[in-house]
Amino acid sequence: MKKNKKALKEAWFYARVILLVLVLLFPFIIMLSISLKGTAETIGYPPTIIPRTWTMEHFVDIFNARIFPFVKYIKNSLYIALTTSIVAVLLGILGGYALSRLKFKGKSAVSEMFFLVYMFSGILLIVPLFKMLSAVGLSNSREAVIICMIVQTLPTAIYMTRSYFDTIPKELEEAGKVDGLSKMGIIFRIVVPLSMSGIISVFVYAFMIAWNDVLFASIFIDSPDLMTIPIGLNSLFNTPDYIWGRMMAASLVTSLPIVIMYGFSQHLIRSGSTDGGVKG
Amino acid sequence: MKIKGKKLGGSDTKFAYALLSPSLILLVLLIGYPLIYNIVISCQEVPLNPRLPSKFVGLQNFTEVFTDQSFYKSVLVTLLFTAVVTIISTVLGLLTAVFLNRSFAGKKLVNSIIILSYVVPSVCLIFTWRYMFNNIYGIINYFVKDVFHFVDTPPLWFDKPASAFILVAIFAIWKFFPYAYISFNAILQSMDNTLYEAADIDGATSWDKFKAITYPAIKPTLVTVVSLRTIWVFYIYTEVYLLTKQVDVLGVYLYDMAFATHDFGKAAAISIILFVFIFALIILIRKKVLRVEEE
Repeated sequence: MKKNKKALKEAWFYARVILLVLVLLFPFIIMLSISLKGTAETIGYPPTIIPRTWTMEHFVDIFNARIFPFVKYIKNSLYIALTTSIVAVLLGILGGYALSRLKFKGKSAVSEMFFLVYMFSGILLIVPLFKMLSAVGLSNSREAVIICMIVQTLPTAIYMTRSYFDTIPKELEEAGKVDGLSKMGIIFRIVVPLSMSGIISVFVYAFMIAWNDVLFASIFIDSPDLMTIPIGLNSLFNTPDYIWGRMMAASLVTSLPIVIMYGFSQHLIRSGSTDGGVKG
Repeated sequence: MKIKGKKLGGSDTKFAYALLSPSLILLVLLIGYPLIYNIVISCQEVPLNPRLPSKFVGLQNFTEVFTDQSFYKSVLVTLLFTAVVTIISTVLGLLTAVFLNRSFAGKKLVNSIIILSYVVPSVCLIFTWRYMFNNIYGIINYFVKDVFHFVDTPPLWFDKPASAFILVAIFAIWKFFPYAYISFNAILQSMDNTLYEAADIDGATSWDKFKAITYPAIKPTLVTVVSLRTIWVFYIYTEVYLLTKQVDVLGVYLYDMAFATHDFGKAAAISIILFVFIFALIILIRKKVLRVEEE
């Protein structure tokens, strides 16, 4: 009797888990479904979840530069996201090391300042940033977006790196000193290699923020040739002849690297100690 | 954080600032300077042509904002939106974390699925929502009207302020609740299960256990999650702007003033007002958070 009750309780638990998963996944199921069915079916009524006619044409079409500018957008997004994350990681390592290992005057003030910037930013400074960067000739440029994205991601990058560095035993650095490494040598030869999983998650964080950004790209980029994926796709949406299947195929392809990278970094830090909290 | 070591003195300070200098210079140039410049712009009338000089107009931009009806409407919408999204997304994240706080088959997979909406670019999710809630062939209206017969004429989701508000709120909750989930999940996983087992022996209900064991443990995280989410939702822009033109939160109001109306002076004034709001919020929160941490 008791066993039955327990089995029933288990079944009820799993039923609720499945329901939760289905609700959360529903929009993604729709996304996948539209990307795999013919255009007529996407705007037919009643709507279908499982396509009646399957097709891969949308996934082929989005990579055809003559009919869809997706590849151009990917290049721009990659340029912005990669540059941002490389710089954020580098500055994060330097700043994180200072805050984790060194004792210096004004440390708490510096750390407080980073925390404030972490909470602020975003839309609050768009007017002066736009005027400043335009004045130095960076209007309609990807570099302006990169600069803003670096500043956006910097406080978190430093915080994350610092907390990883905190977990590395200080004695290992002493060994480096004995071997005659310089101060920079100790950071990049000893501390950084030991914190690789942490540094990868900083990279992923910064890449994700830059890859997903809409605000700064929409402020600084006007010409279609320089557009990133989010604002590029969105600009297509506002034209009358958008094709749902292509949009959804492009959305899936855009999401894929982020999901893979995020999953990978979570896998890496699962053994580590830092939490997965990411700004957004 | 105190570090024991030899010769920690002047040389460390120099090295530390050498390491921090690129970051500090960037922050001064791109946060510090714009903050001040913003105040200057807010007192100017900025002509459309960037070659023409701006004119000093004192507090005129502020008086214009404060006498603008749509500003007050925007403040109300923003406060309501922030409250709804912060509360519901936090509660949902907490409930999910408590619900899933046990070992079961496929837990890793379920975790990844929960986090999906949080990491996938908003713009991709928004395309899907626009499709699902489409007035003509959207699947949501199909369910609402033809499958379950809730209503005869389903709402034009994106075009009416009330339904658009609900739509954006649901979207933001779905997008942001994983953040709360991740934070609470991390705390719950690090907790000692023997307390729950002891409570079970005492015949405690789930609610008793939550009140006596879970809540005190998660309280600091709860305060942090609520404060950060409040601030971030308060100046939300992207998700609202891409989804509908009917929900004028302050972020959208500010963006439109700058880049649709092209009134930089007034936009700067709005951002300063927003800034003061958020700053007050942060001070309030920090006092609260610090108090909680001391407890």
